Amino acid sequence: MTATTIELTVNGIAQQLTVPDDELLLDALRRRLGYTSVREGCGVGACGACTVLVDGKSTSTCLALAVRADGAEITTAEGLRQDDAVVNSFIEAGALQCGYCIPGFVMMATELLSENPQPTPQDIAEHLEGNICRCGTYLEIRAAILAAARRRAETAASGSGSGSGLEARA
Amino acid sequence: MTDLPESGGAGAGAVGQRWLRADAEAKVRGTFRYTADEPVGRVCYVGVHHASRPHARIVAVDTEAARAVPGVAAVVTGADLYRALGDRLLSGPAFGDQPALAYDRVRYAGEPVAAVLAWDLATARTAADEVYVEYEDLEPVHDVDDAVAGGPFVHSELRPSAVFGDLAHLSGRTETNVNYEYNLRKGDVDAATAGAATTVRGEFWSPPTHHVPIELPCTTAWPAGDRLEILSTTQTPSYVRQAVSELLDLRLNQVRVRTRPLGGSFGSKMYDRFEPLVAALAWVLRMPVRMEATREEAFLVTTRHGVAVTGHMSADADGNIVAASADVRYDTGAYADIGPRITAKSGMVACGPYRLEAARVRSRCVYTNKPSAGPYRGFGVPQVTLSHETLVDELARARGEDPAAYRRRHLLREGDTAAMGTVMHSADFVGCLDAATAAIGWDSPLRREEGSWRWGRGVAVGMKAVLTPTISNAVLQLNQDATATLLISTVDMGQGSDTIMAQIAAEVLYLGRGQVRVVAADTDVTPYDTITAGSRSTYHTGNAVRLAAERMRDRLVFLGAERLGVSPTDCKLTADGVVSSSEQRSIALPELMHGYFGARGTTLTTEANYTTQWVPYDHETGQSSKVTEHWFAGAVAVELGVDTRTGRIRLRHVALAADVGRAINPTMVEQQLIGSAIMGTGQALFDYIVFDEGQMLNGTLLDYQLPSIKDVPDKITPIIIESPHRTGPFGAKGVGETVLIPFAPAVANAVRDAVGVRITTLPLTPERVLTALWDSANGGTTA
Repeated sequence: MTATTIELTVNGIAQQLTVPDDELLLDALRRRLGYTSVREGCGVGACGACTVLVDGKSTSTCLALAVRADGAEITTAEGLRQDDAVVNSFIEAGALQCGYCIPGFVMMATELLSENPQPTPQDIAEHLEGNICRCGTYLEIRAAILAAARRRAETAASGSGSGSGLEARA
Repeated sequence: MTDLPESGGAGAGAVGQRWLRADAEAKVRGTFRYTADEPVGRVCYVGVHHASRPHARIVAVDTEAARAVPGVAAVVTGADLYRALGDRLLSGPAFGDQPALAYDRVRYAGEPVAAVLAWDLATARTAADEVYVEYEDLEPVHDVDDAVAGGPFVHSELRPSAVFGDLAHLSGRTETNVNYEYNLRKGDVDAATAGAATTVRGEFWSPPTHHVPIELPCTTAWPAGDRLEILSTTQTPSYVRQAVSELLDLRLNQVRVRTRPLGGSFGSKMYDRFEPLVAALAWVLRMPVRMEATREEAFLVTTRHGVAVTGHMSADADGNIVAASADVRYDTGAYADIGPRITAKSGMVACGPYRLEAARVRSRCVYTNKPSAGPYRGFGVPQVTLSHETLVDELARARGEDPAAYRRRHLLREGDTAAMGTVMHSADFVGCLDAATAAIGWDSPLRREEGSWRWGRGVAVGMKAVLTPTISNAVLQLNQDATATLLISTVDMGQGSDTIMAQIAAEVLYLGRGQVRVVAADTDVTPYDTITAGSRSTYHTGNAVRLAAERMRDRLVFLGAERLGVSPTDCKLTADGVVSSSEQRSIALPELMHGYFGARGTTLTTEANYTTQWVPYDHETGQSSKVTEHWFAGAVAVELGVDTRTGRIRLRHVALAADVGRAINPTMVEQQLIGSAIMGTGQALFDYIVFDEGQMLNGTLLDYQLPSIKDVPDKITPIIIESPHRTGPFGAKGVGETVLIPFAPAVANAVRDAVGVRITTLPLTPERVLTALWDSANGGTTA
């Protein structure tokens, strides 16, 4: 198996990796770079636990080759800001039980709100259909996304900034 | 309720509060470390070669090609491990029947036969395919009733383990696939049935299903001097330590088992799963070894029992239930696992939570050539509940009575003696039934037809005994700054035990959220706990935590009185610290601790044990005056529609009521209830494992259907019923399984109500519903 050197940005940090051509993006992110929010739940793109944003689009990293991410900007759950509306709405809504699938839902929700800032419950269901929460936290997740949409709208309206200004890339 | 705290008072009141989960933020942000995320250094990965045959003698295992793969460090066969460990290689919680690797026979398709070790995972898995096994096929037995009837036999003799003394008499039994039989006898069922006015009968089948927690199993083991360290996804660290010490002939303190909060489990990461294999490889090869199961391997390692039930229920002219029976066959697959215990625990409630004049249960645990079946949320009770909740529904209908009102009249009440001889306490079946049916508007008018849709309502009640006898321990350290560290071996796997236990300790010690930290299970550090399973932790571990906290409170009061120079009887602990009522003085905990030890950062330690006892049931009659420490009582009511064109079912409203004694954290109780509804929706409508000639056909998430956000019922109403248990911590009991148990039967009863057709095989797929409608319309039999 040949290896290829790729350059990509993960959560704002430039990375250079030499990966075998058959290496999954999941393994590159989790095993090489330590982003353990990226999790294999099925290996066939059916559960959503390995979801990240690649150039803003949700991607099942268990089905994506690392070499194809050359030049990409990747966001994992670890990379969302301290004041991120989705993250904080999930926390406040108690939208988790075991928590294992939740970063995947957070990434899907982030994508949804960037495409559709005011989703209906039906829009949420359509967008999240491919993510499995076996504990059955879907109602809280839906509530959290609706709350995040409101939160974003309020933040945009007030034009308020956020946080201490002291924030590291993760 | 003498045990209820003097809470309510200012400052306390952690119990009953909706505290956010411990670690919520880290889990949402993805920074929380689960087991597989813990750093372990360089490890050798295991690739498993799985049997392709359901039943065969292993003639030879050719490992040459696998060894030749670059990067392979070792190839180990079952025969290799058997040479090293002998019969100790055979383990299991009820029967010592399962080898970590098959060495003479394979008993299910997918059974591990050889382990390939390599320093990278891809090489290990690739090379595992290069192992070649020569088999001599043996006749397999696939069907549970064929296996009951006679040969072929999956095991040449029964090998009870040392865990349960009462199985010893089965040792050495040959020419049978039935590894355990539980019997319940009350009254003369045949005579009562013969004299009954109304009798209903049924045959039921609940298929094998799978837990599918999203976190895959991951086990790492490494020798450290004369010790073996294990880091594993397990609900049962104390059990794993014992099992590995027996497997490798090590003392208990030579084995360390650690786990982290799990990414779900539902019974799948319980007893020993990959731990014996990984521990044996690490110990024998003297190297760090890691097994990361694939989803396909996780499907094969354990399943939920497929269960056949033949049952009947009879009523006299007044409607009294004079007789009930259940002949139950649990398909436990190739290895018994905890199947014999499931068979008994479920058998004792197989006729339902009703006042029964006569009852007869025969519940058998049966080997077949399939992957092993073990514990799964509900411990076998959901499968027998399908039987009794269908029968009581049909009995009501046959008498022309409302199914809810009929149940209400005959449900067990406080102080009643249940069919197995135990007196009921804190099991409010009637309250649950009433609340669930009221929530869906049971007595309100229902528009029954809309186009091709037919609408109906159904209800079902569930009853389960908590695992008894069991043991929990807690060690509590109070830190000088009035925070606390709680050492327990209960594993948080999403049920929220880390939060619940913190609330219990905080209630007693007047602490707030975030002040009590629970340490993840580590057998070097956290004390013995039987298992985290069967909804037992809130009651058992909760009581150990409550006792440890009360001892801490008493200790603090004593020390505070000393500092204040007053009698301890004059003092009590409050949010302000230890307060003397006569002197109107108080001392805050940090000051008290600092004064006592003369240093900052010190700790004060208390500990407690909580152990429950039972009266073992009679082996002929199943009767026991105390078969369990307490009961779980729940009811589910459903309003649904059936599209008679497509067979599709739409759940419009489900209401779930559970008697939890007292809700320590109502949000987490509600999440268990709603989560049960969603998992139950899958089990009722589409979720099952398909086998063909012993081969699992849908053991991937492309093929195995799980409830998604789109499958959630239109409306879910969780209802908390609080009938305090006299010895529960603040009256509390567990809730993890309570409403999953009657969920699928409630759906089946509602389908019966909607379309007039009784389906007794799960799940209620569109195909099955359409077939049943067709058969009914054409005078045929029901599905």
